[in-house]
Formats: sequence, structure tokens, C-alpha cells
Amino acid sequence: MALKALDIYKLLPKKNCKECGDPTCLTFAMKLAGGKADVELCPYLSDEAKSVLGASTRPPIRLVKIGVGVRSFKVGEEFVLYRHEKTFYHPPGIVFRIPDTMTEEAIVAVTKRVQDEVFTRVGSDLRFNGIAIENVSGSPDIFARAVATVENVKAHLPPVLISKDPAALKAALVHCGTYRPLLHAASQENFREMCALAKQHGCPLVIRSGTLDGLVQLVKDCTAEGVTDLVMDLAPASLGDFLRRSTGIRQLAITRAVPDLGYPVYLNAAATGQQDAAVALGIVKYASVIVTDPLSPGPTKAALTLRQNIYTDPQKPIQMNPGLYRVGTPDKDAPVLMTVNFSLTFFTLQGYLESSRVPCFMLIVDTEGLSVLTAVAAGKLNETLVRDSIKKFAVENEVTHRKLIIPGYASPLSGRIEDATGWKVLVGPRDAAEIGEFLHEEWK
Amino acid sequence: MGYDCNFGWTSTIGNVILGATKADGGTRRISYTIGGGTTLPFIEKRTDAPVPLIAFEICDFPGFWSTIVTDYCGDLVNHPGEWAKAADASYGADLIRLYLNSTRQRNFSDIASLGTVVEQVLGASTLPLIIEGSNEPKIDSEVFQKCGEVAQGERLLLGTAEAGKYRSIAAAALAYNHSIIAQSPIDINLAKQMNILLKEIGVQRDHIVIDPYTGALGYGFEYSYSAMERIRFSALKGDIDLAMPMICSAADTLTIKEVREAEPEVKNEMAIQWEFATGIAAAAAGAEIICVRHPGTIPLLKKAFADMKKTVVPAGVS
Repeated sequence: MALKALDIYKLLPKKNCKECGDPTCLTFAMKLAGGKADVELCPYLSDEAKSVLGASTRPPIRLVKIGVGVRSFKVGEEFVLYRHEKTFYHPPGIVFRIPDTMTEEAIVAVTKRVQDEVFTRVGSDLRFNGIAIENVSGSPDIFARAVATVENVKAHLPPVLISKDPAALKAALVHCGTYRPLLHAASQENFREMCALAKQHGCPLVIRSGTLDGLVQLVKDCTAEGVTDLVMDLAPASLGDFLRRSTGIRQLAITRAVPDLGYPVYLNAAATGQQDAAVALGIVKYASVIVTDPLSPGPTKAALTLRQNIYTDPQKPIQMNPGLYRVGTPDKDAPVLMTVNFSLTFFTLQGYLESSRVPCFMLIVDTEGLSVLTAVAAGKLNETLVRDSIKKFAVENEVTHRKLIIPGYASPLSGRIEDATGWKVLVGPRDAAEIGEFLHEEWK
Repeated sequence: MGYDCNFGWTSTIGNVILGATKADGGTRRISYTIGGGTTLPFIEKRTDAPVPLIAFEICDFPGFWSTIVTDYCGDLVNHPGEWAKAADASYGADLIRLYLNSTRQRNFSDIASLGTVVEQVLGASTLPLIIEGSNEPKIDSEVFQKCGEVAQGERLLLGTAEAGKYRSIAAAALAYNHSIIAQSPIDINLAKQMNILLKEIGVQRDHIVIDPYTGALGYGFEYSYSAMERIRFSALKGDIDLAMPMICSAADTLTIKEVREAEPEVKNEMAIQWEFATGIAAAAAGAEIICVRHPGTIPLLKKAFADMKKTVVPAGVS
């Protein structure tokens, strides 16, 4: 069972020595309670206290780093079954699969795509994360050559090496052994050789089994061999099988009912026969490394967007900086549209304004990231804020007219805004999708 | 398997019946019972748990519809009956959802024409039907009355009730034994409140489908996703006022920037994939009716749902 911060505090030395990096023992205790710190950081703990704390304060799912450098990614260290309970911390790495039988040109092309492709939305750059090279040929030489081809692009992407044959992995590791590749996969038959390779190169290792018992056994075997950076391939027989066991593992791990299942999950979407569905399902249901064949434009954007959505912290509304934003090149007669600084509201409205082709100003006021509806209800969006924002962002210098378009949901405020600002208020539509039509009809 | 998860659920999602066959006084060839869930979606132990239904959305005024769909479906869109027939026979939908969006024209008053449209659709396809009425308080009462009456005995799902407007829909549903879509703006408490309002005026629990409102993927979908998870969670934990099945309709999907501004050669693919990813995620969160507007999304979702239902591990996987 998880301990509360105060229970943990009782076991600490209470010296406030700061040697753990925290200012006080109490703040360290709070971090431990949240699974955000390691008991080993405290030099003064008795072995007994360590053993009590160790089991209950280490993160229920181990953090595993894959790759090195700027494109490396970390997975695991999750705490909840539902994102709304807290948040999901580490988005799954989506890696493109390359069979080692692919031509050199094609391998280079896929690698360059993962290196360069960026999809920017809501102010963030979304990318795929790495390259998985699969030993389809069965030949260690061909496998090693394919891995060398990827590495020669110098994209420094996290590699995943897929082969049942330790000899093939060994040959490939010559080319990328120092880049923390993820090795796939240890089974009951080969785990000793796999563990030896993982230890020699300091890389994370995937274990693979079609049952939870099998995974638990492999975790015990591999950790006994000294490999602790593990990732679990559930070898799912269907999407439903993945869903059921992935959910079960998450639940058993976060409740610490089966600590040996506390490792991130690997999903080979390409092997499910329903790749696009598997990618989407993996994103929402606890996969941490998703292997897929290179995706076409539709699934690319849908998958990256879904991952961005699901891994958005539900505790913090995403905010825009308040200010006056331009759409196109507005002149002194251009309309001014006021709305809130909830980024989703901003980007949705901006998208529709762009396609309306009416150059205009967006006056973004600070509602601390609340949407129009909630900001009106909470009183955060009010006439004083609007008046002060008009002044602060010098809107009166930008346009000669004094007309302000406000969101439909802010209509109860229209009279008060007119009184406070001296501007004439036009109540716009509730739905941003109708703003183009509104401007064309109402803005003369 | 040696490990069993205990989520501590104490309750079950209530059932709602959609459509009535001849035996039940209707003319549909099939009726569906949704709900009945006892745990998280797709991890039921019983093998006869229903998979989510796919509703294809059509309308009676295609001028207000996405051009991606109207271009793709062609002249069909001008004939709601023919369009419904295609949704059933060629696209493979489980349900038809008819939007009477002609009522959204300014000063619309031709209520009789709506009855004709509903009759056409009921005659053209024998799938159970969802009808979306007007969005205008002045005519709501007449519109829902007309729909309810024309489709008497068919066990429609009527939409959409919201906190500010539910009496007309409820009246029509109660008078003609139809069910209701109860929508709230992405908030579990408001969803519950909406259901209580309906209960207070006499709508039975087994006649309510919750619409937690689905924001398009990339435009607030995560809020809807979590609202669905929370509703399902609370229902399974025993909150009877939330223990109804859910419907997901990400109606804005085809108008968002990524889809609207996609290159012509990938526009259909983008629309389909956006609806598809939304449908998969919503189903995993607990939605039992997934609404789509692009015909191309239906076979993909069907295939995926069938595989998501399969949980048996064949021997030999180790």
C-alpha cells in the first residue's frame, strides 16, 4: 500500500540537511509519496527504513529511457488508470518499422522522414520517435547492414532492434550499441543471452510472453540476471487481447498488487493486422512503445493528434499569452474579436477566421485558460477585464472604429462591456464554425 | 491466467432498446439492446457483450453538410431515403441518424415536409433510426411531435435534449414510447443533472442515452474522452443517474482545419482517419453508439470493433 507523506516523514532523519536535493525532509517525503523521488537519495536512512519505504515509494511503473541525445525518450513512471485522476506523464514513443530486407534507399528515406517530419499544432511540434529494424531476413549480416544504413544517416534516432536471434542482435549492436537501443525480445528460451547483451551494452530489453504469468516469470529471470530496464511485449492475439491485458497490467502495477508487472508496455501495431486501430488503441490504453509500419498522411496526423490530446495534462488548461493577435493583414477598419486565452478556443477561432479570409484582430483576454462558458460562469470574464485589455494592448491605436465582437456565450455581458468600454458590442455566434458567415453578413 | 483485476465495481450500465421489430409493434428488421456493461469496455467476461453500434449520419438539407461527404456520396444526398438505403445496404451502418437540418433555415415552417422525410427514411431502410430534430424553440414542439407521431411504434432515439431544451423532446418521447439523447457540455455533473431533469418529468432510465458531447480530435477531444471515462466509472461504482449507455458524435470532425484544408488527394483519407481514431478511442472510453459522417469510416470501425471484442488467447502464444 502507498504511504502518505506524513507517514514517510516519520521514518526520515528530520535533519533538513538538503543532501537529497530537497530543502526539507518534509518536501522530500512529499516527493516520495508521489513516487517522484528515490529513497536512495537520503544518505541517513537506516536499512530498515529503506526497506519499508523502498517497496512503497518507488514509482509503480519503472521509468525506462530509450536512445540517447535530444531524440531519446522516456516511458513508464505512470501512476493512474485514468488520465483524469492525475495525468499521463510519458507519451508513447511511436517508432517506424523497417524490415532488414528493405532496399538501402528505402531505409534511408524512412529514417530521414522520422528525422525531419514535424506536425505543428496548438503550438507544439509533434514527431515520430524512432526506427525499429526487424530481422526479417534471418541473417545477422543483412540485419547488421540495415542497422548500419540507419545509423549512417546520422539522425541519432532511438533504435529498436527486433530479432529472436542473439547472434543477429550482437552483430547489429556493433553499429548502435552505445545509443541505448531497445532490444526485442527476450523469451523463456533465450533470456540469458539477451540479458548478457543488454548488460554488456547497457540497453533496455523487451520481454515477450502471451500470458501475465509468463511476463512475471521473465521479469524475475531477467532482474536476477541484473537487467532492470525492461519493457513488456504482451504478444497480443487480437486488439481485445491487448486491451484486456494492458488494462490488467496497468491496474495490477499501479496498485502494486503485482510489482513485477511494473514495467512499460510494448505494442507491435504492425503485427496486429489492424495497424491504424492498434496505434490508436495503444495510445489510449497504456502502450509506451508502439511499433508501426510508416504511416500514411491520415493516420499520421490522427495518431499524433490523439497522442497529444490524451497526454495533455487535464489539471492545467493550456493557455495562450493574452494580447492582440492579427489574422492576415488587418487595416484600421478591420473587425476586432474578443475571446479568452484557452488555447483550444484560440486555435479553433483562429482556424475559422483564417478560412473566412477576413483580415481581423483577435483580442485575447486573460481568463487563466478557462473557456468562454466557464469564464463567464466563474466571473473571470467580465467588463473590467475587457476594458483593461483594450487599454493594455492599445487596441484603440490599431483601429479607428469602436466596435467589439464578443463570443456568443458571453452575450450576458454585452451591456456591461458597452458601459465599461464605450465600445459598441456585437454578439457573435456561439460556435466558432459560424464566424465566417457572421463576419460576411454582419460586419459592414 | 493467474491474475485477476479487482476494480471494485458494484453496478451495471442500464439497457436501452433501439428500434422495434414487427413482434414489438414496429417495422424494423432488427432491434438493438445496448448497455449491460459490468466493467470497463471490451473487457467483459461474458462473450455475448454487444460491440459498439455505428450510426451513419444523414440529413435533409445537404447544403449545411460537409462537402467532403456530399462530394463523396454524390446525388444520393439530395434524397434522404436513397441515402439511408445506401447507408444500410452499401455502407454497412448499424443505425441511421437523420438530421432534420432543413429546420435550421431561417423562418422554417414546413413541418409537414419533415413527416414526409421521416416516412421516406423509415420506408427505405429497416434499420433502427435516430432523429435529430430542430434547434429552434419556436418550432421544437411541433417538430418533435411530428417525428414521434410518424414513427410511432418504431422505438426511435430522439435528439437532442439539453438543459435549456428538453421538454418538447421528452413530451414526444413519452407520448410515442421513443428514447432520448441527453446532452451536456463535457461535464459529468451536468450529465447527471440532465438525466435527473428528464427523470423528474417522467422519462425512464431505460429510455435515455447520454451524450457527453464530443469535441473533435485535436479540439478538445481529450475532455470528452475523460468525461466518458468518468461517467462509465461512476455508473459502475453505483451512480444510477449516470448508468445509461453513451453516444459519441464528433460532429465537427469534418470541419476542423486538418481535414478541411487537407490536400484534395488525401482529403477523404484524412476525414476517415480522423473519424476512425475518434471512434476507437471513444469506444475504449465507453461509448456504445459511434456516429460517423464519412461512409469510408464504417468498415474500418466494424473490423476494429470485432477484433477489440476478441479476448481469447489462442494456445501456442508464449
